[in-house]
Amino acid sequence: MGGRALHFRLAGINNQNFLMRDEETGSWWQQVTGRAIFGTLKGQVLDPVVSDELTFGLWKQESPAGQVLTPVAADEGHYENDWEPEVQRLPTPLSFPGSGLQSRDVVVGLDVSGVSRAYPLNALSAQSPIQDRLGGMPILLVMAPDGKSVRAFRSRLDGADLELFRKSGSADWVLVDSSSGSEWNFRGCATMGPATGHCLEQLPALKDYWFDWRNYHPATTVYRH
Amino acid sequence: MTTAAQIRMKRNHLAPGLLFALLVLTSVGLFFVPAFIIRPFRPQTPDALSLAMAVRQQAPLGSLLTAALALLLALFLWRRTSTWKKALLVLGVGLASAAAVMARVDYFEWMFHPVALPGFESAANVKLDPAQMVMAVRFGSDVRAYPIRAMAYHHVVNDIVGGIPIAVTY
Repeated sequence: MGGRALHFRLAGINNQNFLMRDEETGSWWQQVTGRAIFGTLKGQVLDPVVSDELTFGLWKQESPAGQVLTPVAADEGHYENDWEPEVQRLPTPLSFPGSGLQSRDVVVGLDVSGVSRAYPLNALSAQSPIQDRLGGMPILLVMAPDGKSVRAFRSRLDGADLELFRKSGSADWVLVDSSSGSEWNFRGCATMGPATGHCLEQLPALKDYWFDWRNYHPATTVYRH
Repeated sequence: MTTAAQIRMKRNHLAPGLLFALLVLTSVGLFFVPAFIIRPFRPQTPDALSLAMAVRQQAPLGSLLTAALALLLALFLWRRTSTWKKALLVLGVGLASAAAVMARVDYFEWMFHPVALPGFESAANVKLDPAQMVMAVRFGSDVRAYPIRAMAYHHVVNDIVGGIPIAVTY
C-alpha cells in the first residue's frame, strides 16, 4: 500500500468474515473486500490478486515446479481435513431469504465492472462450462473433472466473443470453441487448432457462502440456467 | 457510636470510592465492550462494529491509565477502609489490571496461531492427498500453493511472491 509492505494479523470477526490489522498502522481490514474499514488507512483497498482454488492433484499437474506452504509443525495438530460438514451446521449471523439459496450454499461469485453475480456451485457441477454475460462481458465458468476446481475467464479473444463447449466423445476433459474449433484446457489456453498458444484472460472468482457473498455484494444477482 | 468526625470521613470516602469504581468499570469496559461486540457467530451492525474498533484502538492506553489510577487510588484508600472494602479494592485493581493486559493481546491469535515465517517445499516432495484443496497464485515463474487445511486454521499468511508482498487469506 503506497509503496510500503503491510503485514496482517488476525484481529477479529465480523459477521463470520474475519478482520485483520496491519502491524504497520494498526488499521482494520475486512478480509473479503481487502478494504480498510478503520484507522489511518480507512478507505484504502488492497489490489486483488488472481488466485485459484484447486485440488492439489490438479495444481501439481499444472505446476510441477511450484512450491507449497509447509505446515507449521506446532500447529499441524489443529489443522482439520473435514471441517466443511461441521461449518455447514453452524448458525450464520446473517440471512438473505428470497433468493432461493440457503445461507451456507456455496457460490462462485464474480464481479465484472461492478456488476456481480453468484453462480451456485450445484449449478456449475450440473452444467459446466457455464457461458454467461456479465457487465457487458462474455463469461466462461468451468469446473474441472475433479468436481472441485473452478476457474472463470473472459471468453473473448482478439475482440471476438467465443462460445466454448465440452468436447463430446473425448475421454479427456477438453473444451472446444464454436468459431475456430480450437481445443482449450482448464487453464483457458488453446492446445490445438487455429487458436493454439492463446490463453483467455482469467477473472477473479470467489468461492464463498451465499450469505457472505450477498452481504458484500448487495446488488448481486443469482445465476439460473 | 458514630461521631461527627467519622461521618465526615465516610463522606470523604464516598467520592474516591465512586471514582475507583468508575476507573475499574472503564478499564474493564475498554476490553470487554469490543470483545463482546465482535464475538463469533453473532451479527454486527456497521455502527456496533465501528464502536468496537474505536474502543479497541483506544483500549491499550486507556485501560493502562485507568488501571494505574485505580491502583493509586486503592493505595490511597487502603489504610482508611475496613477489611471487606479492602477486598473490594483488591478485586477492583485485579479486574482493571486484567483488562489492561487483555487489551494489549490479540486473543484471536491464541486460538489461531499466526505463521511467523512461511516455509515452502517443492511440489514433488509434498505428501498431500491429491483431493485436498489449495489456494494458488502465480507471478511469472513463481507459483505457490497454500493448502486450505492450513489456511482454514491460520486464516492469514503474509508472503512475498515474485517480489510482490501478498496477504493470503481464507
